[in-house]
Amino acid sequence: MSELTIFTVNLSQIAHETIDGEVVIIHLKSGTYYSLQNVGASIWNLLENGANVTEIIAQITHQYEGNRNEIENAVNRLISELQEENLIEAATGEDHIHKSRLKIATEVHAEKPPFQTPVLEKYDDMQDLLLLDPIHEVDETGWPHRQEPN
Amino acid sequence: MAVISLDQMAENGDDIECIAFFKTVYEVFQKIVKAFDGSIDHFYNIGGRTVCLRFAGSSLIPYLTPALNHLATKPTSTSALTICIWDQASTSIPFPLTDFIHSLYTASEQHLVDGRGELKHYNNERFRTAFNLGSHALSLLDTKQNVAFYWLNNEPSQLPYYERGAPLRTILHWSLNDKTHQFVHAGAVGLATGGVLLTGKSGSGKSTTALACLNSKLSYACDDICLIATESIPYVYSLYNTAKLKSIEDLQRFPHLVPHTSNADRLDTEKAIIFMDKHYHEKIITGFPIQAILLPHISKQTNTNLKTATAGAALIALAPNTILTIPGAGQIVLQTLAKFVRQVPCYVLEVGSDLSQIPEVILRLLSPPPIQ
Repeated sequence: MSELTIFTVNLSQIAHETIDGEVVIIHLKSGTYYSLQNVGASIWNLLENGANVTEIIAQITHQYEGNRNEIENAVNRLISELQEENLIEAATGEDHIHKSRLKIATEVHAEKPPFQTPVLEKYDDMQDLLLLDPIHEVDETGWPHRQEPN
Repeated sequence: MAVISLDQMAENGDDIECIAFFKTVYEVFQKIVKAFDGSIDHFYNIGGRTVCLRFAGSSLIPYLTPALNHLATKPTSTSALTICIWDQASTSIPFPLTDFIHSLYTASEQHLVDGRGELKHYNNERFRTAFNLGSHALSLLDTKQNVAFYWLNNEPSQLPYYERGAPLRTILHWSLNDKTHQFVHAGAVGLATGGVLLTGKSGSGKSTTALACLNSKLSYACDDICLIATESIPYVYSLYNTAKLKSIEDLQRFPHLVPHTSNADRLDTEKAIIFMDKHYHEKIITGFPIQAILLPHISKQTNTNLKTATAGAALIALAPNTILTIPGAGQIVLQTLAKFVRQVPCYVLEVGSDLSQIPEVILRLLSPPPIQ
């Protein structure tokens, strides 16, 4: 991953929404869903707006009070995790040269909130349902099974 | 009886293969209706729209209609949606693409179906098709003509409890959803003047909360699936009057409901379902304005309490269960739900062991503050 790499949200497989500063992401194929809050939500919104890794680190450093190395490591770690979960992918072709839609803030805030390591909260309690039936109660046996009709 | 015109089916820009498939299905349905000397039509007011269930033969009627009985309405020739229904066990006329359907049961062909049952070759802007491998039911909808087909590739008596409890869910979702109407995985209880939506994953306490309100002033709209309208004043419509007792704890909490179980002979493999309209008709309400979203959480305390919840928590509780269980749902549905949870206050309902407190807490929430 280059510092100039930009990413695209994997819209063919996920649905996502930011609400009151919290990001909710649902992976439609796997059935896993996620949430990001605070710094994590800020990073997601920067990614979504086409910021590259350098720009994201700069913006988070500007926005939060914290050690730059710690921020850089945390941003890289979260981006890797989002890629591993197939929620984002490195842009290619025209997307790659697409300029960031983001305007990096330059104003200086008197008091910045402290940087907290972003956490991708992951929920997989819905996964088992997808390949069976559109129901939400599957018992201990995993019923219903795929079976030929009677 | 509403007339469906085959001539209207083929129009420029539509997918030829889909049109041919739907025409063939409709021709088969007409043949079966003729063999039965006519169809049997049932009409329901669902989400403010009249839906006609057109049965070829009567065998599926006792399995698909009890959950909708509370919404029965007078016949009309101008239904918003007509669903043509039959089962293969009742007819010798073969279903088109039978080999294709049977191939879906084999692992090598499952790439033809997505995780939620949509058949990839027969879905586009106009046509929707999904096959449910659990119930062996094929659902098709032509959104242009508002005609749907529900074909059961099995004996009606083998229809799983979740299909009897929430019949035709996929078609109704496709047809009734629009920018302001959305199927959701939630319960609802309230008064005609307003009530609460109950949401959360399975086991969170939605059913317990809804059923605990039966002995109160609150009416029961649903405990699992409903339709919401996200207009200026959010509104919930009852869809199915089906209550589910999902665990031994549920059976112990509500022993008075156990004798009303409709599938008492199958409780070794199925959750207990009760058609509330049949046994608690006076407690059923078909809809009301939504004043709050509650996220039930079974606690180990005696008392029931409310705590403020964020809109994000409400979306996490409402959206995955809704989106992941409905074929075709995705980004647009998530945006609709996000808009909705921003419209009303959200609370965690900590459900205590004294069930009588549940309706009291909800009624206090719904009561307007006293005038000073």
